[in-house]
Amino acid sequence: MEKINIEEKILSKNIKKADALRELFKEKGVFVLNLVSSPGSGKTSILESTLTGLKDKYNIGVIEGDLQTDNDAKRIRKLGIKAHQINTGGACHLEASGIEKSLEQFDLDNMDLLIIENVGNLVCPSSFDLGEDCKVVVISTTEGDDKPAKYPSMIRVSSALIINKTDLLEHVDFNTEECIKYAKGIQPDLKIFQTSCKTGEGIKHWSIWLAEAIESKRKS
Amino acid sequence: MHEASIAQNVLDIAINTATENSAIKINKVCLKIGQLTAIEENSLKFAFDALKEDTMAANAELLIEHIPIVGKCNNCGKKDTYSEMFFSCSNCGSYKMEILSGEELSIKEIEVD
Repeated sequence: MEKINIEEKILSKNIKKADALRELFKEKGVFVLNLVSSPGSGKTSILESTLTGLKDKYNIGVIEGDLQTDNDAKRIRKLGIKAHQINTGGACHLEASGIEKSLEQFDLDNMDLLIIENVGNLVCPSSFDLGEDCKVVVISTTEGDDKPAKYPSMIRVSSALIINKTDLLEHVDFNTEECIKYAKGIQPDLKIFQTSCKTGEGIKHWSIWLAEAIESKRKS
Repeated sequence: MHEASIAQNVLDIAINTATENSAIKINKVCLKIGQLTAIEENSLKFAFDALKEDTMAANAELLIEHIPIVGKCNNCGKKDTYSEMFFSCSNCGSYKMEILSGEELSIKEIEVD
């Protein structure tokens, strides 16, 4: 019997691919957002509300990840925005190799913003780097304010938290301050947004943040 | 169940390494997994056992070394071990913690014939 020392990261293949994608996005000046949440938090609705306001100013592409159907990609295409659907079959997350393959569908030379809407899941996507600039996590008010404490790994790797469906606050026992406290306890630098796609509350504030991120990536 | 993806990556690395070293059989695969990673050990072992069939690792045992969360406070400088991801400094209560260990997700070594 012989021992062989390896000391290699288990996900090194994904990490290498993600690093190569990040280089490519940097060279092309494309800001890339990896949008994550549990199923039904309103990721696609947030995109519809946000991108409507940004699409005249920026060239945008969207990659949609779901186990099945291209329903989400269709919703984005209705806005006149290029969208590609990845169906993972059974897989609970997207991997860098899937993103690389999807890029064949897009013209990165004429793109400012690429949004990757990950599979609805608050656990698995946290482990898989897709070459993005940042992850943004969505938690909706119907899910419970202790979500960040229950799924800390996702909060820890995210740059911003969107608390969505604020129009329902009067009907649910969701304490926004508690939710923010849990989230900041895990990731003190987390940027917080509060949105409602029904009333439009907070969408402008979030869109400004996104536009600033796009602009700074363009210049760099 | 991203444990299945992780198990497949572990197997790929182990088999490639064993083949490069002219081994014929893998007996043990040793991993280092930090407590900050969202990995469920039973799921990982289950996936590994399912995927190893009909490979040179068919009889391999998966050994996992758990790495504790160690954080250093950037406010008062205290270094301590923590059991949860949600943590503030045990000395001064600050949330400005630098993570020294607990994020590991690596394959340490294999034992082969």
